[in-house]
Amino acid sequence: MIRTLEMRNIVKRFPGVLANDHANLTLRAGEIHALLGENGAGKSTLMQILYGFHSMDAGEILLDGRRVHLNSPKDAIALGIGMVYQEFMLLRPFSVVENTVLGLREGPGPLLDLSKASAKLKELSDRHGLALDPAAKVENLPIGVQQRVEIVKLLYRDARLLILDEPTAVLTPQEKDRLFSVLRALPADGRTVIIVTHKLAEVMDIADLVTVMRDGKVMATRSIHETSPQELTQLMVGRDVNLRIVKTSQAPGDSVLQLPVLQIKDLHVAGEDDREKLAGVSLDIHAGEILGIAGVDGNGQSELAEAVMHLRDIRSGRVLLNGADITNRSVARHRALGISYVPADRRHVGSVTEMSVADNAILGLQQKFSSGVFRNIRHARESAQNLVSRFAVRPAGIDAPAGKLSGGNLQKLILGREIIRASAALIVEQPTRGLDISAVEAVWQELLRARQEGKAILLISTELEELLNLADRVAVMFAGRVVGIVDAANASVEEIGRMMAGLPAAASIPSHPPGAISGTQRAEIV
Amino acid sequence: MPKLFERRLAPADSPLAILARTFAALIAAMLVTAFLFRSYGANPWQAYFALFHEPFATLRGFGYTLVRASPLALVALGTVVSWRSGFAYLGFEGSFIVGAVVSSWLALSTAPRAAFGPMPFLLFLPLAILLGFFAGGIWAGMVGILRARWGGNEVLISLMSNYVAIFLLQYLVSGPMRAPGSNPETPLLPRATWLPFILPGTRAHAGILIALIAAALVWMLLQKMPLGYELIVTGFNPFAARYAGIDVRRRTILAAFFAGGLGALAGVVEVLGSQHRLMEGISGGVGFLGIVVALLARMNPIAIIPTALLYGGMSVGADAMQRRANIPSSVTLILESLAVLFLLAVDLLRYYRFRPSSLWRQPPETITHGVPE
Repeated sequence: MIRTLEMRNIVKRFPGVLANDHANLTLRAGEIHALLGENGAGKSTLMQILYGFHSMDAGEILLDGRRVHLNSPKDAIALGIGMVYQEFMLLRPFSVVENTVLGLREGPGPLLDLSKASAKLKELSDRHGLALDPAAKVENLPIGVQQRVEIVKLLYRDARLLILDEPTAVLTPQEKDRLFSVLRALPADGRTVIIVTHKLAEVMDIADLVTVMRDGKVMATRSIHETSPQELTQLMVGRDVNLRIVKTSQAPGDSVLQLPVLQIKDLHVAGEDDREKLAGVSLDIHAGEILGIAGVDGNGQSELAEAVMHLRDIRSGRVLLNGADITNRSVARHRALGISYVPADRRHVGSVTEMSVADNAILGLQQKFSSGVFRNIRHARESAQNLVSRFAVRPAGIDAPAGKLSGGNLQKLILGREIIRASAALIVEQPTRGLDISAVEAVWQELLRARQEGKAILLISTELEELLNLADRVAVMFAGRVVGIVDAANASVEEIGRMMAGLPAAASIPSHPPGAISGTQRAEIV
Repeated sequence: MPKLFERRLAPADSPLAILARTFAALIAAMLVTAFLFRSYGANPWQAYFALFHEPFATLRGFGYTLVRASPLALVALGTVVSWRSGFAYLGFEGSFIVGAVVSSWLALSTAPRAAFGPMPFLLFLPLAILLGFFAGGIWAGMVGILRARWGGNEVLISLMSNYVAIFLLQYLVSGPMRAPGSNPETPLLPRATWLPFILPGTRAHAGILIALIAAALVWMLLQKMPLGYELIVTGFNPFAARYAGIDVRRRTILAAFFAGGLGALAGVVEVLGSQHRLMEGISGGVGFLGIVVALLARMNPIAIIPTALLYGGMSVGADAMQRRANIPSSVTLILESLAVLFLLAVDLLRYYRFRPSSLWRQPPETITHGVPE
């Protein structure tokens, strides 16, 4: 039984980074403790030390006053410490109970007694309101339920301290509420919950105590009743950040009369498993407009972006740029016509991390930076230098491998590269995922500037706040269809959340078949 | 207590550090091989002297070194182009044979009374090079197509294609191309088609110049041309390449084409410069040893030239070693392989700083009493 757990003066160094700088953290039984900080503040490192995944360079961990050594997650689990990673560690073809007992010895001798385990799991599930079917295959479960499988794995091992790393990143608002109600009940058993997050609203919503980290240091620990979002923000970033950025209104009359820059007409796309990923999506994007696409990850948003760029085979439907059919043109042709794309995966698609910043700055336009058959390396370097200084990429050296840049700086490099080239349209996918507040702000400003310059922007994001702040209209996708389109100015989070979960929109919506709603026939919701 | 090897946080990747590690690997390989020499009752110093003296310190031997190094360098260059483009081609024995076959055929066709009749060398040589390059390119390009179109495994397919080429060669030299009444080999190629000898009194021929030019061209392709950039991006990250509008399939096929072409040039050079006739077993493992050379040169087209000279020289020295120190020449094969193994192993040292001073300097503080962490 853990009563108190203390991490004292934890120091952890990684190549070139001081990830934890004499960090202190005290946890008591029965509390929900939020660990708040920007990306790269050292939260995950600190938790991975507590879970025995990383060794520490200095410092000590005291469990009820006794010093403990955590050399591996195995040691941590034995002491009742469990962790749910952001990426779930589940075997997808296995059932819930099989995943739960994985690594344990359940049953007499070498035999595995799944029925006993199932009964125990069922009992845990009922007691904690997890609503899990032990026999269900994980691959058939929605993300939110998979997360509860991760939680039941910890409860099954009787973890007293549960660490959840960014648990809400992949959830719909409804799933998040569900998760929070499960978590709120855990401290009653004397369990401790740590939530690692960079979202202030969630901290205020669920935590009893909050510890703020910045640059590897612990800035402060506060009781939630004695603090405010303003104070926490200040502790996180060291300055006031106004995230309600100013969006100038564009004259909507013009854009409706004009031909849309990008028209997507009844697009059908198949996924790798031959199931339909896009089931007839139609959208219009006008010059100077940001059309947001809301939706839980995996409802066809990435496929939409890739299909528009023709990075993915299209079954039927058309994509028009300024009225001209570009559906089956090559990716290179799309780029030459002035359509840019910022993919969600910065490190594996948007950049070549092994190559230098300068080489990444010309990615996609490598044929343009040449004279004859030779590369014009001077020209390419100049343009990389401009890019780095205009978009404030740090560090500014263009010869370092791009993989050494932090997420935010790499994103600024990619976004800058694509914005500069986007003479007509820009497709942006999850532009601020995993970025810290100051990087978010910079990315948002750049997107609004591109909108000001009259570019047609398709903004795909799972962050509702981002969409409501930036977009002019928000289309909600579910299961490969556009469920509805709302005006960002008077949309409500609740309504969009309902549509994200696949529920039909409010009764006021005209009875369009899903997917047939185009931009010009706006469905005004709320 | 100061340690001999101190852990460092960022890897040491300066050219000097890379060079130092490469030499450390070579020396380690030589140390281990020295024990093998002992088991033959030979003095390692004498054995190494025999191994390196003839190929590098005698004119005649150096001529042979150049002869051996040229095809090695060309195969290694093919390895660089294909592997850096993400295409793990292992079919260089096959492309070598294809290059040797077509250039022999062309050379024999220029004999008096043959299909083409005599032609000036200045016309013949470019023709032989182009024909060899394209034939080898198409040979390997087929593997590229299998991978690009149908997702075939290029490692297996290219490895197997070597056997196809070997049997094809066997058929040709014992059938249609066989010289009447002799071993399974073609007649001697017309003297006019031989590559000129470049060092008087040695067997060194112009093949090394072809290898040098090829190295410069490969360097230019990879460093200076948008095409090379696209190949490298494809090799590092095919997803990013597709995203950047690069036609990954075509680039893969092209990389295979270049690799096969360069491998075939090795065959062209060997036949026209050194063997002067086509026979079974003409490639003699160069198609694999060349890959080793490329690995040792860390896929750098310029570094390939000295590395190929080293390995070419060692195969020349191996014979001298057998004669003088009575050590089987195949021991050098062990030495060559150990060098690669150690080279892969020394990469661990990227994360350590070597502090020889710790050996003789006293630690500043004696160890305090207590439990060590």
